Amino acid sequence: MSAADLTPSDLTPSEAARWAARSGLPLAEDRHTEVATTAGHIHSVVSLLRELDFGDTPPSAAYRAGGEQHDAAL
Amino acid sequence: MRPYELTVADAAEAVRTRRLSPVELVDSVLERVERVEPRLRAFAAVTAGPARRAARKAEAEIARGALRGPLHGIPAGLKDLIDVAGMATTASSRVRAGHRARTDSTVAARLAAAGVAFVGKTHTHEFAYGLTTPQTGNAWDVERVAGGSSGGSAVAVAAGAAAFALGTDTGGSIRVPAALNGVVGLKPTYGLVPRYGVTSLAWSLDHVGPLTRTVEDSALVLAALVGHDPRDPASVAAPAVDYRPAPGTDLTGLRVGVPGNYYFDRVDPEVEAAVRRAIERLEELGARLVEVEIPMARYVQATQWGLMVPEATAYHERTLRAVPDLYGADVRVLLEAGELMSAGDYIRAQRARTLMRQAWREMLDTVDVIAAPTTPLTAVKAGRPTVTWADGEVESVSDAYVRLSAPADITGVPALTVPVGRDSAGMPIGMQLMGRPFGEATVLRAGHAYELAGTAGAMAPAA
Repeated sequence: MSAADLTPSDLTPSEAARWAARSGLPLAEDRHTEVATTAGHIHSVVSLLRELDFGDTPPSAAYRAGGEQHDAAL
Repeated sequence: MRPYELTVADAAEAVRTRRLSPVELVDSVLERVERVEPRLRAFAAVTAGPARRAARKAEAEIARGALRGPLHGIPAGLKDLIDVAGMATTASSRVRAGHRARTDSTVAARLAAAGVAFVGKTHTHEFAYGLTTPQTGNAWDVERVAGGSSGGSAVAVAAGAAAFALGTDTGGSIRVPAALNGVVGLKPTYGLVPRYGVTSLAWSLDHVGPLTRTVEDSALVLAALVGHDPRDPASVAAPAVDYRPAPGTDLTGLRVGVPGNYYFDRVDPEVEAAVRRAIERLEELGARLVEVEIPMARYVQATQWGLMVPEATAYHERTLRAVPDLYGADVRVLLEAGELMSAGDYIRAQRARTLMRQAWREMLDTVDVIAAPTTPLTAVKAGRPTVTWADGEVESVSDAYVRLSAPADITGVPALTVPVGRDSAGMPIGMQLMGRPFGEATVLRAGHAYELAGTAGAMAPAA
């Protein structure tokens, strides 16, 4: 098991609440456990991408589905 | 055949030749809405008055020879994320109480200009953030889920309560409910249909497209929606293409990719059998089958979530702080938990999408379309949380529904779902046809040929 896999279980309800507060979202105490669990699950899914070697790959924040060829035809 | 049962193409022809008045057509559909709506609850709002006014206007225009086109006088539904000036866009959420759209969305304006009569706003899973649309019953079995998030649109079309409807698709939200209700759904290429005035779930994944009862109808509606709009930063100019498929069924020369991985993994045996039979049908029509390997399949869910979760949370930033109690429990916790995702994770998902798009483009150099199941299982009973696969793996129903549709949202390729039969419980099964970016005409051609070969879905019993 990698360190990334351990991270979700390390995120306690109070830690989740602190992280949310740092993001500007104060959470009522009765939200802490549920948010921590869901955030942990999301984290475990998304952390898989750390396996990838992206090299020089840029992000796709803005893109054209057809790529450069379609753009050229516009 | 009663007017509400007509396809868009048949209704358009009847209207054009003045065998059917738009007033009769809209009245027939509104009567159908009244009949089925108490059970199905597909609509957030029914707009009978404006629909009848649009129908009377269409009738008068057509009587004086001013036919606008094939959608003139056709009754349609709009997913309630799509703005119509002066109306609430509720997103099926209490958060939007008192909302009033100031302007028309691009798609509503274009359909109105084409003469469409809007019969109502259809239910969505709250803010499109879910795959079931719990307010709405499946058109084939009201005890089962409608699918989502465009559940109201799919159910309305399946039940004859709209000739067509628009939906949105961020992970599968047009194709999943279309498949689960036995109708056709088209998620167009990213950027082809402008999203101005459409409530976002995740900007870099959102698409708008039609739900119809036939592939030909999808082509007719798509043609009215495309075209650049600078108010949507992703919008592109439409290629000069006639989307309406030719009448024949000959698919000679078409290379159909059949995935050897991913798309048939953890798929209900009845779904797999129906889709494989449909693929054989494509071969009988002249297509050549080519096995393809889906690239980066291991990273589909991670990429989808890495993009969607933080973008959705960002969209709801203000209201999540102001009125958190007004969200449904399932949506609220996803939005809250999204605050905890790091920018690093988001950028990683963006870079993964770059790689995935490139890999899909290379795969799509070798075939013209890819054929696969739309969803791995048919509509489940409402409230069922999980599915257990033959290998013992337990998957949430929502994860299962989105699993096979998400790749086309990440890569932006066009994806069409067509009905290919029903399972032993009588629930519809969908086959997905995916093409190259801006290759809508090709997927529509393949879907139309399949449909003409005598396998088009029947109208749902619904009432």
